[in-house]
Amino acid sequence: MPFAPVFRSEWLKIRTVRSLLATLFVLFAVTTAFSALAGLDPEDPGADPLFTALSGTTLGQIAALTFGSLAVSAEYRESAAVRLSLTAVPRRGLWFAAKAAAIASVVLAVALVTCLAAQLAGLAVLGAAADGLTTADQVRGVLGGAVYLTLMALFAAGLATLLRSGVATLSVLIPFILIVSFVVGDALGAVVDFLPDRAGQTVLRGEPDGTLGPWTGLAVTACWTAAALLAGAWRLRRRDA
Amino acid sequence: MTSIDVRDLTKEYGTARAVDHLTFTVPPGRVTGFLGPNGAGKSTTMRLVLGLDHPTSGSAGLGGRPYASLRDPLRRVGALLDAGAAHGSRTGRDHLRVLAATHRIPDRRVDEVLEETGLGPAARRRARTYSLGMRQRLGIAAALLGDPEVVMLDEPSNGLDPEGIVWIRGLLRRLADDGRTVLVSSHLMTETAAFADHLVILGRGRLLADTSVREFIDARVRPAVRVRTSDPDALENALARHGHRAVRHPDGHWSVPDARVDDIGRLASAEGVPLLELAADEGTLEQAYLDLTAADTEFAAQPQEA
Repeated sequence: MPFAPVFRSEWLKIRTVRSLLATLFVLFAVTTAFSALAGLDPEDPGADPLFTALSGTTLGQIAALTFGSLAVSAEYRESAAVRLSLTAVPRRGLWFAAKAAAIASVVLAVALVTCLAAQLAGLAVLGAAADGLTTADQVRGVLGGAVYLTLMALFAAGLATLLRSGVATLSVLIPFILIVSFVVGDALGAVVDFLPDRAGQTVLRGEPDGTLGPWTGLAVTACWTAAALLAGAWRLRRRDA
Repeated sequence: MTSIDVRDLTKEYGTARAVDHLTFTVPPGRVTGFLGPNGAGKSTTMRLVLGLDHPTSGSAGLGGRPYASLRDPLRRVGALLDAGAAHGSRTGRDHLRVLAATHRIPDRRVDEVLEETGLGPAARRRARTYSLGMRQRLGIAAALLGDPEVVMLDEPSNGLDPEGIVWIRGLLRRLADDGRTVLVSSHLMTETAAFADHLVILGRGRLLADTSVREFIDARVRPAVRVRTSDPDALENALARHGHRAVRHPDGHWSVPDARVDDIGRLASAEGVPLLELAADEGTLEQAYLDLTAADTEFAAQPQEA
């Protein structure tokens, strides 16, 4: 079976479910709004202006995770729509690749617009405080932020395929990102730099201060995502649908 | 045309054996009823044929090939497994368009099957607003989408109204007359006998019978005829003269054991007895099926002697 029609089918699946489109809108709105609000906060004058201008992504990523897990868990709700999907596309690896590609393209497109809007809004609010940023930093922030959000959506999609449940996926990921990484994280030292969310977020920093550079950090997140997708694919291929 | 081939198929879930060394073939050109009590392994067998579950041993395929090796599966096989498979917030039409897209089936064909299954007016409504009967029709529409040569439906008349049941009988007949392979599961014998030409009967995952409906009836059903008349005395006399012992029931109908509709009809006509009703007694058909499946259960439940 060729890839293109299966990809089109998966893209149609996303386009025809309102709650998925709503999640993408939330991704845009939350990221942009919180990036702008962060620039208003005068508390921390030494803050990284690039990260401040894109800081909405730390909340927006929850929408990206939700999107990734919902797009997969729609197959496992009620009475296993996945069986019908795999009847149409019995080659499970092909089917999963098409689904991941559809999720990635949709999130990447929305995230590029979102990060651009967030950065424009954030920099406008920061005003003179952002003067030190180069154009290269800004381009890296927008592109890197968009790729980061896409990787997080795929990370959730892989995990949701492994667990066959969106609720289970989100109840693992959201506390992990809000508590482990945000709160407990700083007590763990350098290890925390390699957690899936913290590693990738280095791409949003003007002056990365940890072990990882911006692109190597993003590559670490990409490894986490690849691992989650492979685990999902393994489960999908091995087990009864 | 393609047949469904099941060869020594076994499927275990943990220690429970859902399908037990099952072998049968469903040839094209006739409607095969797939019968068995709930839990007999009918749905499991269908999932194994579609490659959704992996067999413990044995094989299931189409024309000797595994389902997963088909290049354009929806154009070869149409299946209804579960009427609830449509996402509630997608419209019926979008549900079919998503499936159609995988095989580059045009929207025109989607609208055709929606019309054919009577869902035209509801096509643009969300699936969660559908009744169970409408979901069944949507599932059948999905099975017909690729104009497949093999059609496999799991309990398609579940939730259908009487008009829907009549419609599905006609549909199954048309599909078989086109030369397609049609396998339809049910747990009701009388319902199945009304549309099937051939029966494959399962009990506890094992094959109990693989026979034509006619043979099954001839071999297992003690024929009986149900008659009503406006002239009971004339009927009784006429039957007695031809050696039939009729039993009169309190509600006014008569049953004639060991007789066929053809014989009693001709007899009544020749004797000039007015008939209000003349029918084969279907209760006995259901009974024969229950005897068959119950015998298997009893046998399996008995302690095994070494």
